[in-house]
Amino acid sequence: MGVFWGYVATLAVYFCIYNIFAFGLNIQFGYAGILDFTVITFMAIGGYFAGVAVLGPAQRGTEIYYIFGWSLPWPVALVIGAVAAGLLGFVIGLIALRRLRSDYLAIVTLASGSIVYGIINNDNKIFDGGAGLVGVSQPFGSHISTNPNTYSEFFLIICFVLMVGCWLFANRLYSSPLGRAMRAIREDVDVAEAYGKNSFKIRMTAMVIGCMMVGIGGALTIAYVTALSPAGWTTGETFVIWAALIVGGRGNNWGAVVGSFLVAVLFNEATRFLPNIPGHPNMISDIRNMAIGGLVILTLWFREQGVIPERKAKFMEIPLRATRAKPGLLAVSASGSDNA
Amino acid sequence: MPDTDTGRTSPSYNSATSEASLGSAVSADSSPTPTGTLLKADTLVRHFGGVAAVDGCSFEISRNTITGLIGPNGAGKTTTVNLISGAIRPGSGHVIFDGDDVTGFAPHRLAAKGLIRTFQISREYKSMTVLENLMASPRNQAGEKLFNVFFRSGAYKAEERRHLERSLEVLDDFGLYAKRNDYAGNLSGGQKRLLELARAVMAEPKLLLLDEPMAGINPALVDKVTEHIIAMRDTLGVTFLVVEHNLEVVERMCDHVIAMALGSTLATGTMAQLRANQAVVTAYLTGGEA
Ligand SMILES: Nc1ncnc2c1ncn2[C@@H]1O[C@H](COP(=O)(O)OP(=O)(O)OP(=O)(O)O)[C@@H](O)[C@H]1O
Ligand SMILES: [Mg+2]
Repeated sequence: MGVFWGYVATLAVYFCIYNIFAFGLNIQFGYAGILDFTVITFMAIGGYFAGVAVLGPAQRGTEIYYIFGWSLPWPVALVIGAVAAGLLGFVIGLIALRRLRSDYLAIVTLASGSIVYGIINNDNKIFDGGAGLVGVSQPFGSHISTNPNTYSEFFLIICFVLMVGCWLFANRLYSSPLGRAMRAIREDVDVAEAYGKNSFKIRMTAMVIGCMMVGIGGALTIAYVTALSPAGWTTGETFVIWAALIVGGRGNNWGAVVGSFLVAVLFNEATRFLPNIPGHPNMISDIRNMAIGGLVILTLWFREQGVIPERKAKFMEIPLRATRAKPGLLAVSASGSDNA
Repeated sequence: MPDTDTGRTSPSYNSATSEASLGSAVSADSSPTPTGTLLKADTLVRHFGGVAAVDGCSFEISRNTITGLIGPNGAGKTTTVNLISGAIRPGSGHVIFDGDDVTGFAPHRLAAKGLIRTFQISREYKSMTVLENLMASPRNQAGEKLFNVFFRSGAYKAEERRHLERSLEVLDDFGLYAKRNDYAGNLSGGQKRLLELARAVMAEPKLLLLDEPMAGINPALVDKVTEHIIAMRDTLGVTFLVVEHNLEVVERMCDHVIAMALGSTLATGTMAQLRANQAVVTAYLTGGEA
């Protein structure tokens, strides 16, 4: 396999991973209206925990420190990463979701993300501080040819399978009564509460599920890149995921896919392969960020709901007369006896 | 219906179809018609900064009645509804609902017990369809449990179908059937008021608190909403507390009326009695300052 296909496979891997991020954020924001302004933190936690689960114990005398080091097989590490991200989401949710107002929520997530970033970046005993984890072995790497292009294609299969799993999960959730309750809470939390929806519990469910998905994306990221450090998950990365969902269309998982493709693949990843202009080392990434920012503004201006807006709920068409013709229907749910 | 023979009339609404369609689960527990107090507000007090919005408000609501809550603007009616429904907590006082002290309960817990409220300004789920607005309203849906969604979808498929059929019938009753697949945010003001009521029907409440259900709707629709409320009492056994400024409507619909001014209950009785009450008349003319 040639370099070209390796390149395509690399982009496809990022596409799948960003899809998973976008599905996770969509469940939080698109479904339940949770302004999670620190999505990338959950990616990092998922990645780090999967990483330290895969890595062997930190060696004395190497000046590299991290917790765990359990040498676990990668599938187990993936679960650990997802659960860790979900747990952090739960803890942040405990603070953020108590208050009903969404602006509190936004601030709390942003602040919590900064705290987590500060701790991980400065405490070099957890995930080796600013240096981060390196040398995380790739899943099944020893069984697959060492050629990186071939490996990308193999890894793409793993990503694709997990992405499809998240897709099915997210869509099933959306069309369920639970998903409907989430959307009701998004639309008007006071009314949903007045109709008996436990908004704290339901939003917490969305929060944790979303965080776990993003954590899965993080575990995939560290597995593919084999390293993760604080420089790789700055607040700007949260913006990229948000941009993907806003441009693509919140509340619609197809929108999340289109947005991931446009923002995360075309604008974000593909530009990394462009040649650098001598004397302007940051030019490419600055252009990229400006382009993404411009795209978000254009979307909000001209197509507020995104490229693929949320779809209208479709229900089975039951002819009214048919239900009306059944006299027993309501009598059964009513007194059941002498009513009919 | 066994429990509708209370001697009341529901003007032009007691047709066979509406009787059949509105007759539902609520009347199951209320057969024979239970009497006595469903809700008791006991010296409720709530201050906002220096303003005593509600200041020692007490009243009782009997089961299977429509109770009106009237009073000048700023009398504390909405605040009282908020206190009863758990939207805000009282500074002092108690709310007894269905025999339990529910003071300070979160709204969703009160709703689970059968106490549902609507809002003074229509608050539909805007970017959900009219039908979805109704489907989201039944309480304690099995399909709202995460485990059921992924591992026991059989646990709610039948329930979902039942809610769908019921929603369509209720929409038909409220003249919104043709709008079922429109976004609720695109309804007219009057249609939104009807949607609020239709949603409430889906929740099968024991007590329904309506905050100015007729605000901003045309006279013909006022009659229609009035009929709906009366029919819900008669066929579903729903008890109502209705905040309303239109005293003719109150007179026509309410079994019992509470007049509030300056945060406390001024007088109670039938509308005819209150019309003859000098304190109530004065409060309406002066806002209670006299
Ligand atoms: N959240 C709040 N903060 C401060 N003051 C409030 C608040 N809510 C209500 N008030 C004040 O409490 C008083 C009672 O208000 P409330 O809304 O209960 O009146 P109301 O009887 O429903 O009036 P209307 O008929 O105009 O709807 C008013 O003076 C109002 O300004
Ligand atoms: Mg009011």
